Amino acid sequence: MQFTLYVPGDSWVHRLDPVSKLLLAAVGLALTFVLPGHLAPALLLAAALAILATARVLRRSGAVFAGVLLIAVTFFIVQGLVYAGNATPALTLGPVTFYREGLLLGLRLTLRLYNILASSLILILTTRPSDLVESLMRRGLPSRFGYVIIAVLQVIPVMVEAAGRITDAQRSRGMETEGSLWVRLRAFIPLMGPLVTSSLIATEERALALEVRGFASNRKLTFLRDEIIPGYAWPVRIAALAALALGIAGRVMLS
Amino acid sequence: MAAQQKKNVWAFRFTTLSLVLIPVAVGINYVGKLFAAALKLPLWLDSIGTVLAGMLAGPWIGAISGGVNNIIFGITADPVSFWYLITSIVIGLLVGYLAMTGWIRDFPRAVVLGLIVALAAAVVSTPINVILWEGTTGNVWGDALYTVLRNGGTPVWIASFIDELVVDLLDKVATVIISFLIFKALPQRLVGLFAGEGQVEKL
Repeated sequence: MQFTLYVPGDSWVHRLDPVSKLLLAAVGLALTFVLPGHLAPALLLAAALAILATARVLRRSGAVFAGVLLIAVTFFIVQGLVYAGNATPALTLGPVTFYREGLLLGLRLTLRLYNILASSLILILTTRPSDLVESLMRRGLPSRFGYVIIAVLQVIPVMVEAAGRITDAQRSRGMETEGSLWVRLRAFIPLMGPLVTSSLIATEERALALEVRGFASNRKLTFLRDEIIPGYAWPVRIAALAALALGIAGRVMLS
Repeated sequence: MAAQQKKNVWAFRFTTLSLVLIPVAVGINYVGKLFAAALKLPLWLDSIGTVLAGMLAGPWIGAISGGVNNIIFGITADPVSFWYLITSIVIGLLVGYLAMTGWIRDFPRAVVLGLIVALAAAVVSTPINVILWEGTTGNVWGDALYTVLRNGGTPVWIASFIDELVVDLLDKVATVIISFLIFKALPQRLVGLFAGEGQVEKL
């Protein structure tokens, strides 16, 4: 059972260290809000898609993009109808009129949505979450906080498995999971209750096990594996920062 | 939620046990969402873990559980959830505070808490919705209402707030009620453990 979007691979983006990818994503997100108009955000999206393509994760990105298509459609409909700056009718379908200004705003919001997704996906699709946390811990993220994040990644598959067992057990006792809304809502508690209780009991055991292994110790930690930073990491970081500087300069000059 | 804890509601209790509770809370959030989807409920029910963490271990652990929840899903499954970080933190903080003062005693109060949480979530989410998406929430029913309200001349901020509130209201009230029922059914030993009465974790 996999709940992360991470796609294993061996592209240049995959081999890039997590911090550089975090920087790429952060620059993409910053530029999403810095760049004005429509053309510049569209170019940003194209750049992010190009990086995703060379990382060979375009298909998984497409699935994420398709998942928010309805939201993008909502932007066009809602803003096309009721945006405060609406003045020029663009399209009339029966009793409703869509306005040019609102539709353009819808386009801007759609580009914003897809830029946020595409920038984040550069990091998310190509980085194992635990690698990201580990490299942040090397740079000063408190190790307890790092433990909490990594533990979530381990706990969730275990809990999902337990959820499946509980569902089977309750069904075999005759719990109804189909029918009216009230029947289905009532089924929620006998499913959730045992899961919560059993995972809280396991929490106590885990806390004791961690304490015995020196979890609360304040000694300096070492890492099992060395961090590999490829030679092109610095050029990539500098290029990302240069793009950000360029974007800000362009915004300042235009306004 | 014992009376002797009234004084130190805001005390940090970062024991190993409470830190271990955080991943479990995030897991409960996730499984809650799975169950709600499997039962085809018209709700998300994806913050039960955050609410329970607040009820069990107080405002800080509740807030961290909420924050970690959105960070995790932001970096693994749903990049947009990262932007609603503050909403989750506020939910954990609020529930944790009211639970630790002993305010959440009975079922009617749990319902009121659900309303408070929904209101707070909407207040915190509205600026995010306005800044990011000019006020819409991405929920079809809420956005339909937004369109009707804007058409009638309602200002963006108020229309956006109502959009978010109608989406949150049922979900958060149901979330808090379910969490309260589960909390009441938990063994007393577990409840005492997380509230820091036993201090079993200090070896």
